[in-house]
Amino acid sequence: MSEAAIPSGSGAILDVDGISMRFGGLLAVDTVSFAVQRGSITALIGPNGAGKTTVFNCITGFYRPTSGRIALRRVDGSLAALERLKDHRIARAGVARTFQNIRLFAGMTALENLLVAQHLPLQRATGFGIGAMLGLSRYKAAEAEAIERAASWLRAINLLDRADDAAGELPYGAQRRLEIARAMCTGPALLCLDEPAAGLNPRESEELARLLTTIRDGTATSSAPTSVLLIEHDMGIVMRISDHVVVLDHGRKIAEGPPDLVRNDRHVIAAYLGEDEEA
Amino acid sequence: MTPSGLAARVRSALVDAGKAALVAFGLFILMVGLRTDVAPAGELFLRTRWAEVGMLCALVFGLRLATALWVRPRLSEGNTQRSAALLSQAGLMFGPALLAVALILPFVPGIGRYELDLGILVLTYIMLGWGLNIVVGLAGLLDLGYVAFYAVGAYSYALLAQFFGLSFWICLPLAGILAAFWGVLLGFPVLRLRGDYLAIVTLAFGEIIRIVLLNWVELTGGPNGISGIPRPTFFGLPFSMGGGPGSFAHFFGIEPSPSHRVIFLYYLILGLALLTNWVAVRIRRQPIGRAWEALREDEVACRALGIDITNTKLTAFALGAMFAGFAGAFFATRQAFISPESFTFIESAIILAIVVLGGLGSQVGIAVAAIVMIGGFELFRDLDEYRMLVFGGAMVAIMVLRPRGLVGSRAPSVVLGGRKRIDASLVGEGRG
Repeated sequence: MSEAAIPSGSGAILDVDGISMRFGGLLAVDTVSFAVQRGSITALIGPNGAGKTTVFNCITGFYRPTSGRIALRRVDGSLAALERLKDHRIARAGVARTFQNIRLFAGMTALENLLVAQHLPLQRATGFGIGAMLGLSRYKAAEAEAIERAASWLRAINLLDRADDAAGELPYGAQRRLEIARAMCTGPALLCLDEPAAGLNPRESEELARLLTTIRDGTATSSAPTSVLLIEHDMGIVMRISDHVVVLDHGRKIAEGPPDLVRNDRHVIAAYLGEDEEA
Repeated sequence: MTPSGLAARVRSALVDAGKAALVAFGLFILMVGLRTDVAPAGELFLRTRWAEVGMLCALVFGLRLATALWVRPRLSEGNTQRSAALLSQAGLMFGPALLAVALILPFVPGIGRYELDLGILVLTYIMLGWGLNIVVGLAGLLDLGYVAFYAVGAYSYALLAQFFGLSFWICLPLAGILAAFWGVLLGFPVLRLRGDYLAIVTLAFGEIIRIVLLNWVELTGGPNGISGIPRPTFFGLPFSMGGGPGSFAHFFGIEPSPSHRVIFLYYLILGLALLTNWVAVRIRRQPIGRAWEALREDEVACRALGIDITNTKLTAFALGAMFAGFAGAFFATRQAFISPESFTFIESAIILAIVVLGGLGSQVGIAVAAIVMIGGFELFRDLDEYRMLVFGGAMVAIMVLRPRGLVGSRAPSVVLGGRKRIDASLVGEGRG
């Protein structure tokens, strides 16, 4: 693996150390290790059934890995052992995610979706619900701030004019962007995206690529730069925006490195094109 | 419409009606057509009634044809959107108008004791509906045992008043807290359950509470119930008929009348119901209320956003149960007598029906549904056993015409620009 590809002056924000996931007799993920560097976009690729989503679900706590460790370095420098946390605790530790098949709150407006994402800071401002119930100013200020933040994200994803429309009514591409904005509204240190470009047309993919690089650089809104881990099948996007690529096949890591290197890797080509590895 | 289009429509309507008549024939041939009777000699014989079967089938055919030709087109002519907008417009004024009527009801001429009693009953159900709406409508947790918390509230007041001599005003919050406690207690085991399974367990919970009340004779009096529950006082002034010193009538220098207590009870339940409404409306705009609705829409996404599902579900159960507890305490003080018979499953079913018919999550819709259901129940008292038939028919009609309840659309809890209603088809119903 080439150290040069990793942005300088950073460290690993996520350290996946030898995780395995076994479903009964099936070993879906076999001792996979990789790291996501702070301020980078890392792509997790591989043919169908390679175990990408399983790795993803282990990191975000929807599965508990059979063995191995996953460490997240928080903003304050402390380490969180994700493999021991429950899913909502992982989200609180600073890992946000989107889903392969969009999971927005369809009956709630775009704005409401982004406010639900800011549940924790808002809930803290309510004073056990009583203060907000009586309309105390502290909660009002917190809510105004949350709405402001949601509006800035809606602006970043070009949906400000549809803020009060139900999320389920939005076009498919807009729903994808809204789901990313919702994940970002939790104020994460690491954003995990499960096939964000699936079903998008070329123009929307282009917009998405731009959005992801602005999220990485922290220029999308006033929020801090955020590291991104994505699963993606659209190789155009992967090769263009990722800083680091990890390739899985049959549950095992077969290659990792900067995009150019991975693209020409013998094992990767074999995995995708089905060539005989001995050839 | 072109003649050929009309002909096609008539043809499809005829085919449709023919199919309906065929189904009716299949059903009625056994249910109506064949009948075993006792002959004068005492043996059984089979009597056939083909004429009646024919009449029924013709009736089904005619009605189905009429629906397909006249009723259905009018419904689907694209004016549902307009009528929904109109309804929400009317709804804005309808709520306050309803409240105004409720406020002045006791002083409207011609409103007697019977009407007020009915009003109290309706308001109790409105309050229960609003309480259950928090659990079912907002959080999307199907609770079939809601009456259990109503019972907990009623027995809490009855027992606390009987054994410790506590007054109604102290017992009211205690009854709410105890019911909320039982709500949390029910919440814990059902946290992992969804949909049908949640419904079954809550149903069982309601029955457990009732059966415990029925069998724990030393404490609850079993089937005999608890009688002589203290009536409420006007902040310490009893409504005694004698009008002696210290009574309500004496204090205010008015003629003692039995209607004073009824009016007081009426305003008491009105106040409690409005409190429920106020809390439900305000909490919807709070993080916890939004988390409930998000939970109804997609639980997995909630977890990914760091929302603690356990706490969110438990608060919904607790808050919903608390209002049932308040209503229960009120019920006990109004009746002065309670027994497990008042807390059967049919009560849960009625409250749930009110919430579903009113439209999940809609405050005004639930109030209207409660008025129609409970008031209608009284109105059709003369119909005796056919009352249930009318009732069932009305319910089927509403579910056909407005499948998501009277007010099906959802109002956003917060807006950036203009307020828009969200169409019911987008809003999730929750799966536990």
